[in-house]
Amino acid sequence: MALEDLRNEMETCRRCSACKFMPFEKVSGYQPVNVCPSISRYNFHTYSGGGRMVNGVALLEDRIGFSEKFIEVMYNCQVCGACDVSCKYAMDMEVIEPIYETRIKAVKEGHTSPDLDKVVNSLRKQGTMVPGARIKRGDWAAGLGLKDCTAEKVDVIYHAGCLTSFNKDMWKQAKSIVKLLQKADVDFGIAGEKETCCGGRAYQMGYQEDFLNQARKNMAMITKSGAKTLVTGCADGYHAFKVLYDKFDLKGDLEVLHVTEYLDNLIKAGKLTPKKRLDITVTYHDPCHLGRLGEPFIHWQGREVPGHIRIFEPRKEFRRGTYGVYEPPRAVLKSIPGLKLVEMGRIKEYAWCCGAGGGVSESNPDFSMWTALERVAEAEATEAQAITTACPWCVKNFNGAIKERGSNLKVFDVVELLARAV
Amino acid sequence: MALARDFYWSLEGILGAENVSEDPVVTESYSFPIRRKTMPDKVTYLPRFEAVALPASTAEVQAIVRLCNRHKVQYKASSTGWLYCDPVGPNCIKLDLRRMNRILEINEKGMYAAIEPYVVGAQLQAELMKRGLTCNQCGAGANCSVMPLASHVGLGHMSQSGSYTERNLLAVEWVTGDGEIVRLGSLGSHGDWFCGDGPGPSLRGIIRGNTTPLAGLGVFTAGAVKVYHWPGPAAWRVDGVCPKYTHPEMPPNFMIRYLSFKDIDDAFEAVRRVGEAEIGYTLMGFNAAMMASNIATDNQEDLDYLKRFAGQVQGVGFLLIIVGNSALDFDYKKRTLEQIMAETGAMSLKDVEDPVMGAGFAWRFIRITGSIRETSRATGWGGGTVGGSDVFPLMTRYILHTSHLKQQLIDQGLIMDDFTHPFIQSIEHGHTGHGEILIRYNPAGPDHIARVQGMLSREANKTAIEGRFGVPHHVWSDALHDMYGPNVGNYHLLLRKIKKNFDPGQASESSNYITAKEEK
Ligand code: SF4
Ligand code: SF4
Repeated sequence: MALEDLRNEMETCRRCSACKFMPFEKVSGYQPVNVCPSISRYNFHTYSGGGRMVNGVALLEDRIGFSEKFIEVMYNCQVCGACDVSCKYAMDMEVIEPIYETRIKAVKEGHTSPDLDKVVNSLRKQGTMVPGARIKRGDWAAGLGLKDCTAEKVDVIYHAGCLTSFNKDMWKQAKSIVKLLQKADVDFGIAGEKETCCGGRAYQMGYQEDFLNQARKNMAMITKSGAKTLVTGCADGYHAFKVLYDKFDLKGDLEVLHVTEYLDNLIKAGKLTPKKRLDITVTYHDPCHLGRLGEPFIHWQGREVPGHIRIFEPRKEFRRGTYGVYEPPRAVLKSIPGLKLVEMGRIKEYAWCCGAGGGVSESNPDFSMWTALERVAEAEATEAQAITTACPWCVKNFNGAIKERGSNLKVFDVVELLARAV
Repeated sequence: MALARDFYWSLEGILGAENVSEDPVVTESYSFPIRRKTMPDKVTYLPRFEAVALPASTAEVQAIVRLCNRHKVQYKASSTGWLYCDPVGPNCIKLDLRRMNRILEINEKGMYAAIEPYVVGAQLQAELMKRGLTCNQCGAGANCSVMPLASHVGLGHMSQSGSYTERNLLAVEWVTGDGEIVRLGSLGSHGDWFCGDGPGPSLRGIIRGNTTPLAGLGVFTAGAVKVYHWPGPAAWRVDGVCPKYTHPEMPPNFMIRYLSFKDIDDAFEAVRRVGEAEIGYTLMGFNAAMMASNIATDNQEDLDYLKRFAGQVQGVGFLLIIVGNSALDFDYKKRTLEQIMAETGAMSLKDVEDPVMGAGFAWRFIRITGSIRETSRATGWGGGTVGGSDVFPLMTRYILHTSHLKQQLIDQGLIMDDFTHPFIQSIEHGHTGHGEILIRYNPAGPDHIARVQGMLSREANKTAIEGRFGVPHHVWSDALHDMYGPNVGNYHLLLRKIKKNFDPGQASESSNYITAKEEK
């Protein structure tokens, strides 16, 4: 769907400003109330979901063009989807889709950011969104004796993802997952050196063709392997395989699960039992692409019924973030003896972003850090000892913010804590 | 028309470069956003603001206002900015008050809260509820500023027990059109917010009028609002995930009903008695369509609920929330209502009686989260006219007059037929009332908006003048003031004098208020 096809969505914007705030039913005090990092940091309406709708239409009408300022505003947005959820509390219109499509149009017409071009060039040349990586993709699994899913039959493929593979600090997450899957006797394998980027972050940045190339490569490999289930430890990867591949009719029957969903199922089935006490108080950060953006894609084809109220034939369900993955990571945490989970002010569908998404960590590291600092402060206010999450990009950003802030908070991926308790 | 460089650099000097922009990408996003393609032609687009500025303090606002006066540039301020914020001519800059978002004080003993313009209803209400207090917030919604002078007339769902701006407005800090800082009421004498009328200068009538100046008389940089006792929980329980929130518990001593009547006179009598007994926390003359929109999470569901509710109402109705300060008080109020219902033939909408659905309705009406659904979800383009406020019996008749008008629009296929009446609400336990026609429609053709709004405005004005329904709160232009003035003691002449005196340079852009044009 091109930006032109979303004109009616953008024109439905009522400029009510709800997209700047968390859903009003849930506001429980003066703060926290903001939900959009972009408007919160830059303050002009332009940076909000609503401002992006106005300017999307203006772009189609040539009232404005892809100027330097337009590109700056466009990329100072984590495509976190919070505006989409808050808007759709009351409205029947798409917000995040026009945001994606504006980027896709910009890239197609050659208006890109040099910082993001660099990342995508790395994808094109080395198959990774981590430019300049000096290690090899499969190094993290050296000596673990894991099955190669491209050569052996497995029930489950574990897709480690770019950041986990190419950033040694993240290897502990992958190793924890391996330990847990082995403990539960899961027949799984990895693609190792042959694993390639899911393409999700390229899509977020507007490089749709690069995303599609990656998606096709991945699905060819997965189909050939015969595996029916893919597990990912990365929220971006989860969103790509589960939502985006489906959006482009590439997913087929593949079952895509985030590792927290998979582990939650194993715990509930009695195949994994956390026994060791971990006396720790933690809070949990919902990654945007696992939470509100992680709900299944809804295929719909039909038409808007002409009339004085926007209804559709057949009935159209909007994706509103209602069915994202919120409970499984919490259930995994709660299964750990001694662990106490305390919640932050903004959670689940209206969680504040970690700051890393949409290419912001590459194109504007200061804004990315600013966003993460706000989340770390919110986590500190819960008096938790650690912030837990379920995505390596969030882990990386929080670690940076904690260092910057001089905070005592620790950061864990949920799987690390579970691996310690099992 | 580009701004003079020295002006722009001075603006940057006041705010810092990152808080001012004249880039078209920024100014465009503040232009009229709605359904552009359906506007008659591009010529009708309103011009962009020349620049957008983000002041963070009264001192910064004052400096900008003075600068504008010196350079003969106009300015227009707004807070969250739901509509009504565009310039009608060039040479005007926008003051987006987003950075002025502090709660300055909540005085529990003095029962007031002082706030800056960008504090929204949800924020202040939530903060007050923690302290056993609440405030009336603008009926347009929790997304709007809660500062009485920034939120239109300030009529809200709590106006039955919590009145509206005219009564709730206490001390005010005001940067006049030419840049003087005026502190009204007690703020002007000893720095406290508790009173708008003294000791200190009282200019409440000057700054407010029948509505508010809609950014046409300088900038109100802070204001205090009266707060009320809240007998409910510090936080209402809301479970589930947006928008499928569930509300498992109605707090103790809370009750919600939607009552409908066969006859408008019975409805009026019920409102009068509820008011006389002072049992209502909220009394809004919503219709079944507004009830359906309030609960539905999408348009299709909206239509489904409308069908369902239509079978459960018998005519004109109203929503009533009753809140007891104690079990005994609640019991008294409940029994009083039962008696009123029996004597006026009220029919209660069963779905609202359901404890879980009822708790949801109650919370959405108290927090006011449904207004966007009610006014905007249908097509993104809603409309209508904001009627006036006058004695309640007169406003009851407003329904009869305006129903006829709404039906005409429906018959012509111009608006959605939701087979319901326009709404009126009761204020201060029936002391006065207020009516509005809210319509939903798809502006499909090039002159659709002009036809609908033109007819509505014409007829609504005729209705107001001939039916003596009070000056509507939609009077926001020279043309309308000039039309209404001669019918209402020539008030427009006084209003114009106020504009001239407090904004001699005409710097505060006032096309939505009144300008200082010379009388012929
Ligand atoms: S995007 Fe949605 S929430 Fe934001 S201003 Fe537009 S209608 Fe309101
Ligand atoms: S996607 Fe996130 S950062 Fe971008 S406008 Fe929406 S809420 Fe703001």
